[in-house]
Order: sequence, then structure tokens, then C-alpha cells
Amino acid sequence: MRIIATLLDAILGSIVVSLITQIIVPELFEIAVPLWLSVGLFVAWLVASARPNASIGGLFLGMAPKAIPSAVRANLGWLAFSVAIVSGWIITEIAPLEFFSADGLQGAGRIFRDLFSPELGVVGEALNLMVETIFTALMATVVAVPLSFVLSFPAARNVMSDTTTKKSVYLGLRALLNIMRSMEPIIWAIIFSVWVGLGPFAGMLALVVHTVASLTKQYSEQIEDVDEGPIEAISATGATKLQVLWFAIVPQCVIPFLSFTIYRWDINVRMATIIGFVGGGGIGSKLIQYQNKGDYNEVGTYVILITLVVWILDVISARVREALR
Amino acid sequence: MPLLSVRNLSHTYSNGYKALHNISFDVEAGEFLVIIGLSGSGKSTLLRCLNRLIEPTEGQIILNGTDVTHISDASLRRHRASIGMIFQHFNLIPRHTVLSNVLYGTLGVTPTAGSIVGKFTQEQRARAMSALEVVGIPDKAQNRADALSGGQQQRVAIARALMQQPDLLLADEPVASLDPATSHSVMSYLEKINKDMGTTVICNLHFLSLVRQYASRVIALKGGHLVFNGQPHDITDEWFTTIYGEDAVEVEIR
Repeated sequence: MRIIATLLDAILGSIVVSLITQIIVPELFEIAVPLWLSVGLFVAWLVASARPNASIGGLFLGMAPKAIPSAVRANLGWLAFSVAIVSGWIITEIAPLEFFSADGLQGAGRIFRDLFSPELGVVGEALNLMVETIFTALMATVVAVPLSFVLSFPAARNVMSDTTTKKSVYLGLRALLNIMRSMEPIIWAIIFSVWVGLGPFAGMLALVVHTVASLTKQYSEQIEDVDEGPIEAISATGATKLQVLWFAIVPQCVIPFLSFTIYRWDINVRMATIIGFVGGGGIGSKLIQYQNKGDYNEVGTYVILITLVVWILDVISARVREALR
Repeated sequence: MPLLSVRNLSHTYSNGYKALHNISFDVEAGEFLVIIGLSGSGKSTLLRCLNRLIEPTEGQIILNGTDVTHISDASLRRHRASIGMIFQHFNLIPRHTVLSNVLYGTLGVTPTAGSIVGKFTQEQRARAMSALEVVGIPDKAQNRADALSGGQQQRVAIARALMQQPDLLLADEPVASLDPATSHSVMSYLEKINKDMGTTVICNLHFLSLVRQYASRVIALKGGHLVFNGQPHDITDEWFTTIYGEDAVEVEIR
């Protein structure tokens, strides 16, 4: 009886949630019915764990308020999880048969064959674009580093904690950086390709925005981690706030800052290959053209080159960062 | 007129914990005053109130006849520049040279812009070298500060404080992270500065044997209250129990 009551709870919960959705975003209603069931079950589970006696379903069945059996309660979470997986399977349109179908395997064979027999005629052109990509990433990093350095101090809690004004600047800056960071570089590249026109400059600007947001966060977290001792010692000599920043905080951060910066350049090269897809210049801009034309031998040349360069840079940057420890 | 006068000093931390209760005492020029008490008795807070690294909640700090509890930022920096300070964990700037660390003792009187581009005068450099000679490590001037041993690092910190040509030297548990032999070496440098240069020293210490050897006067804190103010040899067994509690046993450091 109790199990039926709980299921009723789940169904009621789903109906309520889906009705709300139907009113706010009707487009979502159709696709997501199984999702509502899992949300409903999850809500029922939460209610059941928090208030064992509360059950709307139970009221409908005219049952006296009595604890739902603990076995049911314990398994409701699992039930909600299973339903979520099932709905995920449906929504993602997972189709294993397609993965292993004769047609599919044949297509896979064709594309792999083409990718691994690269068109060597485009190597020169690809290398040229690769240089453009690497420099786009380098310039983006070089421009972003001083900006991030300056911004990292007002973005560090321990530097900004002494007055209310400073605290609000800190919170505002943090919020702004979070928003900047949650927009992917590819979105920024679309914006800047309209702003300054297609090409590596748009790509660089996109990377600058993302790099400033990420590096400032990393730098400022490092500042928050510094040893307070030298800050006290330098303050005790009668130093100004700026002298304390420069002589007590910066020396403790230089090496980690360098390490973050090198890693960021490495990441920027990877991103610079991708933002070409949306007009950010560099190797990606040509790669997407070959892909659209179905020239998979040329695509193969490009992919192999990108993989090589990214791999080499990854090794170099790891070595350098290791040496900096 | 005493060099330093502490009047009814209290400090309450922002979490509401009252670390110091109505502390009053005077320090005459040339004294070697030692503050004793258990960990958490308020010794470090008291010391940091003197150069306002921690802001007193109530009361006055009067140095050379000037009340420094409510002064402008610029005057506060001058006040701090006239007081040297050394710490339990030395608090040197890692990766910088010993000489640079000693030069940072002059930051309070060096213009910000000049100091950031490293413009210290020849006179300051010469004084830094002679401060290193006072503490016996001029040969380490170009070494990285974090490559030195603990005792040597504390001597660099003393040299940094000497650069301020201080009226008063504060020492917060200067030997608490050093071994016994090194402790005596560091204490004897403080004694030398006190005796030869006439610099007044206020020092927090744990070990009574060190107190008896180096202090010219002792004050004791217990739970943020001042409970003793007198000569080192006046600390009898009864006083010891009052300050450190029933279960305490005196440990000696030779």
C-alpha cells in the first residue's frame, strides 16, 4: 500500500512539474516526459526522507499518517537515478545498433582510411596556418598576462577584506570574471568576428577575454594562498600598501604565476585551432572548409599536424613547469 | 618619561574573543622586557598592538610622549618605521637575497616608486652590510634567504630590524622554532643590540631559563590579564604556578 502511495506521490509530482513546464516553456514538454517522472520521483524521495509521514498519495488512499517503510525510502533514490538514466538514454537518442551497423562501419572505415592517407600537397599551407595559430595564442597570452596580473589583486579576498568598499569591488569583479569565463572562447570568437571582421585578430581577442578571466582567477587564488608572515614583516617596517603587495605578496607568487601562464599558452594553442571554425582565423578556418567539402585526405593532414603540435607543446610546457618547481 | 607607556589596553577580536583585558605598563629606554605566559594568553596580540599590526579596541599606546592609537596613515607608517620587529617564523621574503631582505627594513622611509624599481641608496646598502656584520653573516649577503638555516634566517631578520634604526625592538617568540644552541646565539645578538646600541627590547618568550638569563624585567599575561610585573628572580614557584597553572613543570633550556 505504502509503495503505491509513494508512486502516486511521484506521479503527482511529475504532473505538477510538467504542468508548470507546459505553461512556461511548452516546447520542452514533449521531449521530456520521462525526465519529469524522474524529477517527480526525486522530489518524492526528498519529501520521504525529510518528512517520513508526509504523503499526498497516502492521503488520497485514505491512509492514516504512518511512516513509509524505510526499505522503500532507501530505494527511492536509486529508483530516481534509474529513471534519470533511462530518460537520458532516450533524450540523447543513444542507438548502439547504428554504431555497429554495416553502413556505419563502412563509413567509419572510409573516413579513417582517408584521414590516415593525408594529402601531402597541403602540408605547406597547413604549416603556414599553424604558425598563425601559434602566434594568435601567443599574442592573446601576452596581452592577457598584464591585465590578469593587475586584476588579480582586487580579485583576491585577503587583499580586499579590510573595508566594505573593497569587499564589494572584490565581489563585483569576481562575478564579472565568472560570467566572462562561463562563455566559451568559441562564443567570444563569433562576437569578435562580427566586431573586427573574420580572421586571427578576432580569434586573438576571443582568447584574450577567456584568458584574462581564467588567469585572473588562478592568480588571485594564488594570492589568497600566500604566507601571511612576510606581509606582517613588511607592514611592520612602515611600508605602504603598494610596497606590501610588491615586496611581500608578489615574490611568493612569481613562480606559480609563470607556471599558470605557460600552461595557459598551451591551452590557448589548442583553443586557437578550434576558434577558426567560427571565423577566428588560423588552422581551424581552413580545416572546417575541407570538412564541409568532404576532402577527408586534406582534413587528415590538418588533424595530424594539429595533434603533433599540441602534443609537442604539451610536453614542452610540462617540462618547463616541472623545471620551475 | 618612559619610552613606551601602555594605558588600559584592551583588544577584542572580530569573533568576539577578548584577548587583552585592560593592560597597563611602562617601559623605560634601555630595558630588556620579557613577556611570558601560556600560548593563547595574549602575548602576540599585545606585541602587535604596539605597532598596530593589530588595532587596539580600547586604551592608549604612548611612544616617546606621542599617543599613536589614533594617527593618520602616514604617521602610522613613521611610527612603525621607528619600531623593529622579528617573528617566530622569521618572515623573510623567500627567493630574494639576504641583502635585499635587509634593505627591506628601509621600506618605511623609501618612496614607494623608487623602492619598487629597486632604488636603494649607496648609504642604505652600506648600512645593510654593516647590519649583517653585527649579526655575523656578511658573507651570506648574496645568498637566497630561504637557503639559510633557521638561526641564520633569524639573524637576517634582526639585521632587517636594525636597518630601521629602531627606538624599540619587538621580538615575537624569536627562538620558538630554533634548537637550544641556536636559541642562545639569537638571544645573545638581541642582548648585544640591547647593551651595545642601547635599543630597548620587548620580547615574548616561553622558556623561564632564557627569561632569567636575558630579561631585565618581566611581565606575565594570563588569559589576557597582566598578572605579574617585576624582576626575573622574583618569579617564585608560587608565581610560576599562578602563571602557568597547577600541572606545569618548568623545563630548562641550557
